[in-house]
Amino acid sequence: MSTSPVLEIADLRIDRESRRVLEDVSLEVLPGSIHFLVGPNGAGKSTLLQAVVGLVDFEGRITLRMRGSGRLGWVPQSFAVDRTLPITAGEFLALSRQRRPVCLGVGRRVRARIDSLLASVGLDGFSRRPVAELSGGELQRLLLANAIDPAPELLLLDEPSGGLDEAATSRLEEVLARLSRQSGTAVLVVSHDRGQVRRLADRVTIVDRAVRRSGSPDEVLGGDAALAPEIR
Amino acid sequence: MSGFYDWLAVLADRGSLPEAFRFAFFARGLLSILVLAPLLGGMSHLVVARRLSFFSAALGQAALTGLAIGLLLGEPIDRAHGGIFGFCTLSALAMVWVKRHARLPADTLVGVFLSLTLGLGICLLVAVTKRFNVHQVEAVMFGSLLTVTDGDLALLATLAVVVAAVLGWIYNRLLLESLDASIAQAAGVRTALLEYVFVLLLTAAIVVSLKVIGALLIEAMVVVPAAASRNLARSTRAHLFGSIFTALVAGVGGLFVSTRFLVPSGGAVVLAMSAVFFATLALAALRGGARRPA
Repeated sequence: MSTSPVLEIADLRIDRESRRVLEDVSLEVLPGSIHFLVGPNGAGKSTLLQAVVGLVDFEGRITLRMRGSGRLGWVPQSFAVDRTLPITAGEFLALSRQRRPVCLGVGRRVRARIDSLLASVGLDGFSRRPVAELSGGELQRLLLANAIDPAPELLLLDEPSGGLDEAATSRLEEVLARLSRQSGTAVLVVSHDRGQVRRLADRVTIVDRAVRRSGSPDEVLGGDAALAPEIR
Repeated sequence: MSGFYDWLAVLADRGSLPEAFRFAFFARGLLSILVLAPLLGGMSHLVVARRLSFFSAALGQAALTGLAIGLLLGEPIDRAHGGIFGFCTLSALAMVWVKRHARLPADTLVGVFLSLTLGLGICLLVAVTKRFNVHQVEAVMFGSLLTVTDGDLALLATLAVVVAAVLGWIYNRLLLESLDASIAQAAGVRTALLEYVFVLLLTAAIVVSLKVIGALLIEAMVVVPAAASRNLARSTRAHLFGSIFTALVAGVGGLFVSTRFLVPSGGAVVLAMSAVFFATLALAALRGGARRPA
C-alpha cells in the first residue's frame, strides 16, 4: 500500500466574519490510518473538515490524492435536513446509489444493498422508516451508512459519537477499524472522546486555532493529565 | 385541433360529456390543466423541499412586471412571452446569485426582490393600462381560459416534456442537495449549477402556466399540492404522487367550478387546492399522523 498521504493540508488559514479561525495548519492523513483531531470547543476542528469538503473558503493548500474510487465520505456533526420532509431511510441512501429518480421507487438490487448497509450500522429493517422518525443516534448511524459505501478513500467524521449509545459507539469503532485496515481508507475524525482516541487513533493532532501538537497517541497525549485540557 | 374540439362538442350535445365541452376553450383549458397539474404538482415537492415557496411568489410578481415590459416593447398582450420569460429569468438568476453571495437570510433577500419587482410592475402597469383594456391585464393576473390558444397548449406540453426529462436526470442530486448541501458537495454534486438549473426550469414552468393560473396565484400551484401531500406522505414517492394527484383533482375540479360559476380559473383552482390541503390536514390529524417540525 502506498504511504504517500491521501490528504495533505499545508499552511491553511481560514477567516470567518473578519475573525481568524485557523492559522498555519499543516497535516497529512495516510492511507489506512485513523487520524484524530482533538481540541476545545471553538478551536476550528469542524471548520477544518468543512474546508476539506469544500464548504468554506480558505487560504493555503488542501491536496487530495485519490488513487482508487476517488470517493470522499463525509459524516457531518448534525443532519441539516428538514425533518418534516417525507423521505425514508432507504430512499435517502438510494439518492447516491441509483440513477433512476428515487421518487419512482428504489430498484430491487439497490434495495438489497441498502438493507445490508443499514444492517452493518445496526439499523436492520429501517429501510422504510421515515427519516423524520429517527432518533439523533439513529440519524447519525444513517449518515455513517451513507458515507461508508462504497468504501471511501478518505472518510471525514465530525464528532460521530454524539448521540450514540455504548453499543452504537462500539459498532462505529468496528466499522472505522475495518475500513482503515481492510479497505485502506484514510480516516480523519473530530472527537472529544478520550477512550475512543485511545482505542482507535494511529495519529492525533491537537488543534486550537493552530496545530498545537501532532504525532502518535502516546507522543501527543502522554498521561491522562495531559489530556484534560483538550478532551474529556 | 379543431376537429377534436368539434368531436367533443358533438359528444356534449349527445349528453355523453358535460355541457361545458361544447366550448373549445373549455376543452383547451382542461388539456392545459392535464399537462400543467403534473408539471407544477410534480415540481412542487421539490419547491417545498428546497424552501422556494416565497421565491415562487416573487417569480409570480416578476411575471406581472415582465408582462408590462413586454407590452411596452410592443409584444401583443396574448403573446408577451418574451417580456415575461426574460424578466422572470433575469429576476430568478439575480435572486439566486445574490442569495449565494450575500450573508442575509434567503427569505429577506427574496422579500427585497419581491418589493423591487412589484414597485416596478405597478409603475409600468399604469403606463400599460393607458393602451390596453385593464381586463386583458387581469387575465394574466388571475388566469383566464379564454386566452389559452392551441399554440400555448403546444408550448406547455413541449416544456413539460423538457422539464420532466431534465428533472429526471438531476432529481437524485437535487433532492440530496435539498436535504443536506454538505453531503451533496462531498458526493461531488455541483450544487451551484444544480440550483441555477432548477430555478430556470421552475421559471419556465411558471411562465407557461400563467394564462391558466395567473401571475398572482401561481405560487399556490407550486406550493399547496406538496403541502397537502406532505400531510399524509411518509416517503418521497408518496409525496410526489400525492402532490400530482392533488394538483390534478384540484385543477380539474376548479376548472369545472370556474366554468359553472363564471369565476377566474386560477382562483377556482387555487380554492379547490386549498380545500384539498385542509382535507388532508384534517385526515392527518384524525390519523394522529400530522407531523410538526422536530
